This record gives sequence, C-alpha cells and structure tokens, in this order.
Amino acid sequence: MKRYILVRLLKSIVSIFLVVSIVTLMLFTLIPRMNIFEKDGAYKKLNGDAKTSYVYTKLDELGYLDFVRQSEMCALASDVTACNNNDADQIAEVTKLYEEKGYNVKTMLNGTLYGYYDYKPFEILWNYFSKVIVVDNPDFVKNTYGVELENTGYYFGLDYNNIPALMCNGSQYKYQIYFDASFPFIHQNIIHFNFGKSYPTKAGMNTLDVIGFGQGELKSKDVTFETGQTFKSPVNLHTAKYKVSLDGLDSKKFNDNYADCDSYYQAPSMVNMSYLMGIISIIITYGLAIPAGILMSRKKDKLADKIGLVYINILNSIPSLAFIFFMRQIGLMIGLPASFPQLGYFDIRSYIMPILILGLMSTPSLMTWTRRYMLDQANSDYVKFAKAKGLSEKEVFNKHILKNAIIPIVNGIPASIILCISGAFITESAFSVPGMGKMLPDSIKLLNNNMVITLVFIFTTLSVLSVFAGDLLMTVVDPRIQLTSKKGE
Amino acid sequence: MGEKNIILSVKDLEVKFQVRERVLTAIRNISYDFEEGKVVAIVGESGSGKSVFTKTFTGMLEVNGTISKGEIWFEGKNLVEKTKDSEWEEIRGKKIAMVFQDPMSSLNPILTIGDQISEVIIKHRGLSKEEAKAEAISLMERVGIPNAANRYDEYPFQYSGGMRQRIVIAIALACRPRILICDEPTTALDVTIQAQIIRLIKELSAEFGFTTIYITHDLGVVANVADVVAVMYGGQIIEYGNVEEIFYDSRHPYTWGLLSSLPQLGTKGDDLFAIRGTPPSLFEEIKGDAFALRSQYAMQIDFEEEPPFFKVSDTHYAKTWLLDPRAPKVEQPEAIRGLHERLMASTSKGGGYSGK
Repeated sequence: MKRYILVRLLKSIVSIFLVVSIVTLMLFTLIPRMNIFEKDGAYKKLNGDAKTSYVYTKLDELGYLDFVRQSEMCALASDVTACNNNDADQIAEVTKLYEEKGYNVKTMLNGTLYGYYDYKPFEILWNYFSKVIVVDNPDFVKNTYGVELENTGYYFGLDYNNIPALMCNGSQYKYQIYFDASFPFIHQNIIHFNFGKSYPTKAGMNTLDVIGFGQGELKSKDVTFETGQTFKSPVNLHTAKYKVSLDGLDSKKFNDNYADCDSYYQAPSMVNMSYLMGIISIIITYGLAIPAGILMSRKKDKLADKIGLVYINILNSIPSLAFIFFMRQIGLMIGLPASFPQLGYFDIRSYIMPILILGLMSTPSLMTWTRRYMLDQANSDYVKFAKAKGLSEKEVFNKHILKNAIIPIVNGIPASIILCISGAFITESAFSVPGMGKMLPDSIKLLNNNMVITLVFIFTTLSVLSVFAGDLLMTVVDPRIQLTSKKGE
Repeated sequence: MGEKNIILSVKDLEVKFQVRERVLTAIRNISYDFEEGKVVAIVGESGSGKSVFTKTFTGMLEVNGTISKGEIWFEGKNLVEKTKDSEWEEIRGKKIAMVFQDPMSSLNPILTIGDQISEVIIKHRGLSKEEAKAEAISLMERVGIPNAANRYDEYPFQYSGGMRQRIVIAIALACRPRILICDEPTTALDVTIQAQIIRLIKELSAEFGFTTIYITHDLGVVANVADVVAVMYGGQIIEYGNVEEIFYDSRHPYTWGLLSSLPQLGTKGDDLFAIRGTPPSLFEEIKGDAFALRSQYAMQIDFEEEPPFFKVSDTHYAKTWLLDPRAPKVEQPEAIRGLHERLMASTSKGGGYSGK
C-alpha cells in the first residue's frame, strides 16, 4: 500500500512535469513572441531605441532570451572604458566574443551596442523549472541583497498576536510557520512556488498572487505594530518580507527590516471566489441528484421516475448558455441581480443564481448515473438472494443495494470537490463573476504565458491528485480494491 | 401406499408475464404435491418454466409476472394470497430457502461473509449479534469451512467458488427452513466441487430434515440425489415419478428425448442425440400436447386435445396420449433401453454418472 502510494505519487509528478513542459514549450516556441506585445499599452506608446530596449528587457524577463546591453558586453572587453566609448576595435572584439557565444549582436539607432541570446527549448524549460520552487533560507538576505545580518537563523518566538511561531532572521519571510484563524490554520512561508510574473495584464505581479490575492478595496483595521504604535492598516503581518530600505512610516511601525507585507482585501480572491461557489453548488448537486436518482430507481417506470427522466432530458438537451440565461431571467423576475458586480461581494443575492445554476447543471448526469448504478445493483444476483433470505425491502435496499451503488459515485466525489477551484467559465462569464473560470481562456487570449503555465500546472496537479484521492477513497468503501504495486508493473 | 405427508401443495397454478404489451404464459396449470423429506428434482430444458415454478413458492416472481390462477398451500395457508413483501418475510428464508445457481454472484461483494450469514439469523431468529456470530461460525463449520472463526470476517472475493456455494447453503439453512430450493446449485462449479456440494446438501437434508427441491437440467445430478423426478416442458409438468421409474420406465416422448440426449450415452465418433425443433412459443395458446410438434410419436389427437395425466403406478404419472388404451403400443427408443447397465458401464470408464 505504502509502496503503491509512493510509486503513484512519483508517476503523478512525472506526468504533471510532462504536461507542463509540453505546454511551456508550445507557448514559448510556437507563438510568435512579438505577439505578446499586442495587448501592451506601454509598448504602443514607445518609439525607436526606447521601444527596442523595452522589448528585449521584457523578453528577457519572460525567459525568451538573454538580453545584454553595451555596458554589460564591454565588461568583457580588454579595455572597458574604451569599449564604453565606442572604440571600434574594442566593439569588434566584444562583438566577436558574444557572437561566438551564440548571441545576435546589433546596434541601436543611437549607435549603442546590444545583444541577445535566444534560449533553446531545453534551456527555456531548464530556466523555468529551476526557478519554480523557491525555498526560503536564513542566507536569503545575504545572497539576494548582499546585506550581512547579525544572528541569522531560525528561532521560536511569539507573533504579534502572542501565538507561537517559527521565525527566522536572514530569510525572505520573517514568519516561517505560523497559526491564524483562517483555514487550514497552520501556514508556512518556507516553500513558495514561482511561476514567473504575469504579463501583460497585472504586469509585474506573480501569477500565483494574481489568482490568490484578495480583490476589491483594501480592508483596513486597527493594527498594533511591533513598535507599539497603532495604525489603521490593511497589512497582514504574517507575510512580512525583508525590505532593504525602510521609509519613515516603516520605521515607525517595525523594529526590523521585515516591513514588506501583503494586504488584506475586502473581497475574496479569484480562487476563493470560484471555490466558494463551487463547493456550495456541489452540495446542491449531490444533495438533489443522489436522492432523486435513488428515488427514480426505486420507482422505476412509475410517475416519479418519469418526471425525473423528463427533467434529465430537458436539462441535457438545452444548451447550457440558454439554461443560464433562462435562469437569469427568472432571477431577475424575483429580484436577483443579472450580474455579480451589480450588488457586489457583500450581498448574498449576488451569489444565489450563479450557485443555483452551477448546482442544477450537473444534476442530470449525476441523477442518470445514480439511477443506473442503483438499477444495476437491484438486478444483481446477490440482491435477489438477499431478498430470498427474507430481508425486508428496506433492509435489502440499505444493506445491499445502496452500499454497492454508491461505490462508483464515491470515486468521483474528490474530483468534484477539488476541481471546483478551476471555476466555471460559462456561468462566471454570464454573471461577470470575478472567479477562476475566465482566467485560462483570458490568459490564452492575451498571451499571458506564465499565467497559462501556472493554470495548467494547477489544474493538472489537481486533476491528478483528485483521481488519486478518489482511488484512495474507493479502498475505504470497497474491500475488494487494494492498492498494491506488483512487481513487473 | 399410505397417507402421504404433503408439505407443499400446488393446485392448478398458472403464471403469466407481461412482456412488451404481450402476455406470456410461463406456467400452465400445474398441480403437484411435494412430499415432506423427499428430494424432488425438477428437470427440463431452458425456458420450460422450472425456475418460475419454484419462484412462486417464495413470491420472488419478477415484477412483470403474476399468478393468474391457482393455489399454493403451505402450512395451512394459501401463499398465492400473499401480495406484500412484508407478508412474505415470514416464509422467505425462514420456512422456504433458496440456493442460486452462481455462487460467485450470490453473495454481496462488499459485506463480510459473517455479516451475510448472521443478518439472517438476527432477522429471523431474533438472536443477539454475539449469539448470531457463534451460530454463524458453527454453521460455517458444519458446511465445511475450515478455520471458520477466522474466516468469519473475510469477504466473498477471498473465497473460492465452492466455498462460496457452501456459504450460500449455510445462509439458506441458517433458519432451519422446511424446504430448500436449489436452483441449479452446481452448474457454475467444476465437477469435483459439484460432487462435494451435492453430497453436502444431501447430508444436511438428513441432518436438518428439510425437503429439497432441485432445479436442474443435469440428469447426472438427478440420478445422484433425487427421490422423485418431475419433468417439465412448455410450462407444465409432463411426467413425474420415483427416480427409478423416470430413468428406467419413462413414458413421455419428451422424457425419452431428454434421456437419449445424455452425453454419457453417446458412442465415440457418433453425433450426440438431440431433440429436434425448438420449444413452443409461450406467447400463443398451446393446443394439444406442447411436445407434439417435436415428437416422432405424435398422433392426430396430440394436435387437438391436451392429454390428461395417465397413471403408470401409484407414484408414476405421465401426461401423454400414448398411454391411452386406444393408442398404438410404442416402445421406449433403443437409445435408452438398459440405461442403468450402460450408465454403470460408462461410470467405470470415468464418466459423470457418479454412483450413489
């Protein structure tokens, strides 16, 4: 069992890696790289050398190529000053040097030299993956900012709420492991994922922060800082990061250089938004569809079954968009908003229709399957035998039919719970819900490569894990299934 | 013959099925008395109504089937009057138990063996969970499960086919039923296991004193276990009698055909005997003798009027016009004359006719 889980996890990691690699390569090599500037306002305003410089800086940032300016190139020249002063011999020397390394060396309109090296596919992948996992360490400040701190290392201390936390001096984050009131209550800052920066939308922000940070207005409250002063501030002190130079306000609040904090926002993040809606809609789906499917199977060919089949057929045959707009219209008639931003995050009425629609849209298939599994079991030999044993219909149903019929349904539950993170594109678009659903199509449209990779990684990982979780859950409900890896597999 | 001790008496039973707007008559006016303590084998080809017939004893007909006529008397009650499942609970499993054909699928795959045995004991005999467990383990030992206490908590997939059939039998016997119906209990098992299971049922019937009804098309099994044989064809019993009478002095052409097609009688190199034609469609009303169309002994009357039962001996009756005094005298076909001697001979060569 343990061995199986280990092998399976290993296989999962390999498959996730493969998927992300393929997507990364496709994005970086198959899409003309100049296309990414189409949606960039700054690019359009620039001209001449400024534009060239901007383009290569961005491409360098995004991992397409390595961009070198004249000053950098001249550092390798035998006479650095002469090279910087455009001495023809020196220029020719560094040009040759860089061209040998595979760089394209060119001159700008004003005569300055620049060069770029197009990464090969393998290098793109390597550069990308080598930076994905960032482990915080006590030497972070020294290695990144070149600042020597005293007393670097881990220590146990109390946070600003006087709750014990594992802290560290010299690392990027002050709080390495800490507790707070939000799920899952224990949090860490030791390992972070870095999927690069979002571009061209939300430029400069880490892709994970784009989907993970709260939205809307900052949420301020009275915070007592380390210095004992109380300010109205939205900061989340647990996210304190090292800041090289403090401004006046920072030094009023903080005793040390860990002054760079994330903020609390009024509205939930995209992920939380989709997840919240998804979870409630799943509860609706399962809450309605399983009892309905069971009822249909028990009253097969009777009125209840026929009504259920009509419902299933109607919902299956109506295009989902039509269903959404139909429901939205009904919502309007009873005073619910037609789109989410009308009443916003804090009005429960904004949520009712999207959640109800999401919940209802998946009922037909679950009802069909539940009914079908129930009927399959009801016609099986052991159910007949159980009946012949003299058990009452209720006993046969509870002990024999239901338990068996529920097994394949149980298998799908983790997937539906975990995958609601990915959001629901059509419903969220129809109601303009700021959730995850629109992120993937939007980022593909805008050629936000890093965002696409991030989302692909997240969705792939969650899919693989949820299938895995479903299989593990099966072993709990079905004694026949045992997870073992046999030799020779 | 003195007073017979009748445990179950079927009178003029007719069962109809509703199949896609059409009505199929699966059982056509069967009257038959089951004697207490005897082993009755019901034989006949697929579709002859063997299973349907016995299902009416426990109210286990499929939802589209109804008893349209007749009575089934058991312990002074007419079972046909029971309509609700709750009324049947008194009978099913408690007084009349069943063993099905396929032990691989008769047990719930996700409940432990122990649970499946003790749930009947708790239900019908009102024992506590611990008492039921002790009783179940002793039953498991009785049906020949080694190391029963340890295997109580195992699941069906951990048991072999023969073991599972033993468990099915243990479940069926858990409430000391008066009648045990075995619906082809050995068809799905291999030959050596078949013999073990048959022997087990036989021993248990002596020990527990129940009446056994075998449904089978395996005449080897019949010869082995049955006291009485009833041959079914086209939804009717067409001949019944003691096992010797059926095997050595059968009178109905269908019984002859059935016996002639015993594979043990085939000579190497020759084609096996087969009854030609197909069984009659039960959707239509059958006129005369249902077997007439396939019978080489059919007479004009067979196509016009249904034959009554003719008495051959006190225990042996056959439903064929051939027994009418006016009918021409017809001998048993060559193939089954001296059946006993030939079967014994084939047994010594290792055939399937295992001696009693």
